[in-house]
Amino acid sequence: MSKTSQTILVVEDEAQIRKFLRISLEAHGYTVLETRSGEDGLSLSAKSQLHLVILDLGLPDMDGQKFIRRFREWSLTPIIVLSVRASEVEKIQALDAGANDYVSKPFGIGELMARIRAVLRNTDETLSTPMLFNSQGLRMDMAQRAVSVDDNPIHLSKKEYELLRLLIVSRGQVITHQQILREVWGPAQQYETHYLRVLVGQLRQKLGDDPARPRFIVTVQGVGYRLALSAA
Amino acid sequence: MQHTTATMEPKAGTSSLRVYAVAIGVVFVTVGLAFLAHKLMPHASLSLLFLTGVLVISVRTGLGPSLLASILSFLAYNFFFTPPYYTFEVADDGDVATLIFFLLMAAITGNLAARMHQEMDKRRTSLRRTSILYEFTRRISSAAGTDVVLDALTDHLSQSMDKSVMVLLVNSGGIPIVRTSAGRPQTLDADVIATAWSLNSPDPIVIEPWHFLKLATKAKTMGMVAIHGQIDADQIDLARSLCDQAIVVLERTQLVADLEQARLVTETEQLRSALLSSVSHDLRTPLASIIGSTSSLLEYGESFSDENRRELLTTILEEAQRLDRYIQNLLDMTRLGQGSLTLRRDWVDLHDIVSSSVTRLQNALKGLVIDINISETVPLMWVHGVLIEQAVVNLLDNAIRFSPADGHISITAAARGDKIDINICDGGPGIPENDREKIFDMFYTVRQGDMGTLHGTGLGLAICRGMIAAHGGDVTAHDGHNNHGTCMRITLPVIRPDELSTA
Repeated sequence: MSKTSQTILVVEDEAQIRKFLRISLEAHGYTVLETRSGEDGLSLSAKSQLHLVILDLGLPDMDGQKFIRRFREWSLTPIIVLSVRASEVEKIQALDAGANDYVSKPFGIGELMARIRAVLRNTDETLSTPMLFNSQGLRMDMAQRAVSVDDNPIHLSKKEYELLRLLIVSRGQVITHQQILREVWGPAQQYETHYLRVLVGQLRQKLGDDPARPRFIVTVQGVGYRLALSAA
Repeated sequence: MQHTTATMEPKAGTSSLRVYAVAIGVVFVTVGLAFLAHKLMPHASLSLLFLTGVLVISVRTGLGPSLLASILSFLAYNFFFTPPYYTFEVADDGDVATLIFFLLMAAITGNLAARMHQEMDKRRTSLRRTSILYEFTRRISSAAGTDVVLDALTDHLSQSMDKSVMVLLVNSGGIPIVRTSAGRPQTLDADVIATAWSLNSPDPIVIEPWHFLKLATKAKTMGMVAIHGQIDADQIDLARSLCDQAIVVLERTQLVADLEQARLVTETEQLRSALLSSVSHDLRTPLASIIGSTSSLLEYGESFSDENRRELLTTILEEAQRLDRYIQNLLDMTRLGQGSLTLRRDWVDLHDIVSSSVTRLQNALKGLVIDINISETVPLMWVHGVLIEQAVVNLLDNAIRFSPADGHISITAAARGDKIDINICDGGPGIPENDREKIFDMFYTVRQGDMGTLHGTGLGLAICRGMIAAHGGDVTAHDGHNNHGTCMRITLPVIRPDELSTA
């Protein structure tokens, strides 16, 4: 399944979760390092060549948010955060501190694998963002600034185009409301989520995306948006 | 009583000088009138005029001024109007009689008048006290809490006596603590309080400059009233009446609070045991499937067909997800119950809420047909998205539970005036008219007894209503389409972007 073995560090204090993560990740050809404490995790990551960190936010020895900030002082290696549900604030904080994506506990392994693939592919490709995106009928030619759905050309406004580009470039990784508002409207407007909701509505309509069963743009309630993984 | 005289005297002293001056003045006026009348009537009749003057004085004032007025009147009458004129000589024995009459008259009427005045003063005081008491009773009769009663007591005491007043109540440690105060701010030392508290006396306890009155029922002493400065017996009586009134009401409010507390404790206890039994049942049901399936797989897995193995694994996953939903419900209920639910409102598209609710219940929805129809009229909603999503998930979960296999569920939403209606309808057995309100009662399904047929903690709908209510909306149960099944309706108020001052 894998060509070159990529290394994933799992920082999680629950032994049972570490176990099934290790079994599943190794079955997918990843090399797994694991530890139950944040300090160990930081020193391990300083010594090893990592491709990804899976981090539980509730560590016994260290606040997960602090782990992210300290890790980000020297490393750009992507982080996927494991967090309990119903704490959007915690997730947004982690994403703002530099985590790349999150999965809510309890989670299915399929969901986690999809996030890992998206994040890893993204880091592979960040150096050379493809000029052409084509998936599930959605096509974006960034050189031409042309968008089409199922071969029907779509005319997008500047902001709509920018929003779609942002989602496509992050390839299924969640982008928070604030990140989108900063990128598309500028830092002054980063709390005007109303604009964002309206813009997403317009974009979905133009793409012919059924908001109740979205094909392209998925809402992450209370956090942000992501490109549907099937499309990413 | 000594206080009374001590405080009354200076008052009487200042006003009596004026009263004597008035008496003299009236005599002068009478003399003037007598000169005018002298031309019309015989001099003997003039004495009547003077007598009238004396009467006026006596009625208006008291014994002293009337005697003075009568002597002055006699002298003036004698000097000006009896021969020999302009001397104090008495020519006639009849005039001596006149003098005696003057004095007698003055003494009698003066006495009468003085008594009348005393009576009137008493009446006035008692009227004032009655009206203060009445006003006080009126104010505290409807008092719901101790604080209202104490406030009223302090206000009334302070206003009626024009003094600084503090009311102290014993705290749980049995130490009197100042609860309310009125009038000019005063400091009351802790050791003064302690001394006053330790003394036991039905009379006011005086520790200069304070007077202390105990607030005591038959059973116990609840606190004290401290009054700053000199007070007289009337004021003490008044203060005591006010305190007695206050105690009656305080006892009542205390009783109501105690009863309420007792009721709450019983109810909480009942809820707790209902919750525990229902929770353990609900957590065990999926656990039984999980343990059964996994142990089967472990023991005999190798002999199972691939298909059967897969089926068992699917069961384990689905049951675990169900367990997760129950736990989420319990957590939500705790948050709602503790009142620690803080709304983090944001602009949310209803489509997103419905879509993620449906996604979350994907597995449970297998085999059912689901229709989603959200009208164009539904604007963006200013809500805490995750909570509304949970409310929709709970209703949808219910709809799924009561739907027959290959049943039909519809989610529709439309704006209606300044409200948004979200309807979640199923084709299940429906809910009898009488039960449509009861189902939102926590543990209603629990109390129904037979939980085998209706799994779920009975918390789902209560949580749903709690979350919607936190947004100022409501959840109600209605007939389903064509009188078949049930429609659960969430109604939320519409908030427009311009209604928010700052987002």
